Amino acid sequence: MIIKVENLTKTYKSYERGNTFREAVYSLFVRKTKYVEALKGISFTMEKGELVGFLGPNGAGKSTTLKILTGILFPTGGKVDIMGYTPWKDRKKYVAHIGAVFGQKSQLLWDIPPIDAFYLNKAIYSIPDKIFKKNLDNMVELLNVGDLIKKPTRLLSLGERMKCEFIMAMLHNPEIVFLDEPTIGLDVIAKDKIREFILEMNKQGVTFILTTHDLDDVERLAQRVIVINHGQIVFDNSIDALRKHFGEKKVVSVSTHNPLPSLDMPGVLVKNKISEYNAELELDVSKLELNKFIDYINKNSTINDLLVQSLPIEDVIKDLYS
Amino acid sequence: MISAIRMHLQGIKTALAVRMAYRADFFISAFIMLISEFFGPLLTYLIYSNESSIPGWSMYEVLLIQGIFLLAKGISFPFFFGMVWNVLERVQNGTFDLILIKPRSVLQLVIVTGFDSEDLGKLLGGVALFAVALYHLPPAEPLQWLTFAVLFMISLIVMFGFGVILAGLGIVWIGNYRVYEIFSSITNFGMYPAPIFPKLLQTIITSVIPVAMLGFIPASALLGKPTENTLYAIIISFVFLFASLLFWKTMLRKYTSAGG
Repeated sequence: MIIKVENLTKTYKSYERGNTFREAVYSLFVRKTKYVEALKGISFTMEKGELVGFLGPNGAGKSTTLKILTGILFPTGGKVDIMGYTPWKDRKKYVAHIGAVFGQKSQLLWDIPPIDAFYLNKAIYSIPDKIFKKNLDNMVELLNVGDLIKKPTRLLSLGERMKCEFIMAMLHNPEIVFLDEPTIGLDVIAKDKIREFILEMNKQGVTFILTTHDLDDVERLAQRVIVINHGQIVFDNSIDALRKHFGEKKVVSVSTHNPLPSLDMPGVLVKNKISEYNAELELDVSKLELNKFIDYINKNSTINDLLVQSLPIEDVIKDLYS
Repeated sequence: MISAIRMHLQGIKTALAVRMAYRADFFISAFIMLISEFFGPLLTYLIYSNESSIPGWSMYEVLLIQGIFLLAKGISFPFFFGMVWNVLERVQNGTFDLILIKPRSVLQLVIVTGFDSEDLGKLLGGVALFAVALYHLPPAEPLQWLTFAVLFMISLIVMFGFGVILAGLGIVWIGNYRVYEIFSSITNFGMYPAPIFPKLLQTIITSVIPVAMLGFIPASALLGKPTENTLYAIIISFVFLFASLLFWKTMLRKYTSAGG
């Protein structure tokens, strides 16, 4: 076990400030204290080499969890053991073994080429020349960035920059890498390349924790998903299990020659009845098997066209979030 | 230790590279930094050229104090004082977190990444003013030079203490760029001979916040007229350094408990 989190809690102290001018002036002198429970006791463990997706709506406690796990914040209560370290207590020793990529905060230096920033990291992490060169060459090739690393950062596209952020975060051979929305704002091609890179590094044994709002990221990358909402873990299992969370549901679009029969039966939920011949519905195959449903429609109305799809993961997530 | 020095040098090299990306801006800024520091010496010149004076102090003696003050600033501002603006900016835009995920002392990292090369202009100005004043004054004894050297080092320690306190304030006092005004209005007392101030103020600048150490005390030693409170001011300077580091630690802890 590489990560063990037990009953982690975090309560923020904040100040209430009114929205009118009078309240704002008043708050300059007297402030009302407010306590916000960002984490209400979360527990989970991770094995070495796992790639776990952290999902949750804005303000659910994802960032707080990530900040505690990276040693930036210390919690109000609970225990964390990562590779034998307590992040906020052994910060300096601990962070030498981790890497982090923040989609919204750059570790590169805007006016100079990424390679200069890489050399700064080399000095900060005391990376030996040989390992530095080997890792750099390896990642430059994997990410296909070539001479880009010698161009001033401000001249690079967002996708190119993000690739360099990954190099920056992984030059020192971290065992665990935290990714906070690493594909935000990227085009499909850049996203693909980044995902390929993450999978390759994961194959080489690096453990990843990924927070994202991009469900494609999760579907393509994560073997396991932890959904967090209102400071609690509401789901922790494989991505397939997430799909089956509400039973096995399919989205079915059907059009027929003759008017549709009655659809008022267990396991069928009509989402949109377009006409007497056309409908979109949700089918719970644990209650009504797909072939039986198709038979029923075909016998009664003769199927013209039929489209069966898995329930979009968004719908499952939306339900977990609400 | 060696790796810390190596990192420091690499950091300075990187910061210089960043600054050199816009050369014209660099030279103009360095020049402005230099000019902005000459208000004090100019005032001294105007006082003395209008047949007024500070009792017991010749013009070049006062200029020597101000040259040493500028020299102390000229060394501390590029090499470590940039941490103040660095922390302010990073806490405000959220990149302070990136410092916390590096396996180094947070203080060292904010100093390194805050290396402020354009303030080297101040150093040039300090050297020039110091040299001009010395040229017009009788030569000092070797022992006076030695005392001066030690006291000047301590003046850098006081500067460091100020930098650490202001950087610490920057952690909790988000985006408050007024900190420099606070700093300069306090430290400017070190630019003049202490005896011109009321007794209470003299005590404060030597024995509470050792501002006099920033120019007046080292200059007095070099001029061969050391002030009586020198030893006390030395002790207070170290207390000040210790207190500033303690303050920094407390503020850092506050950040990590609140998340900025």
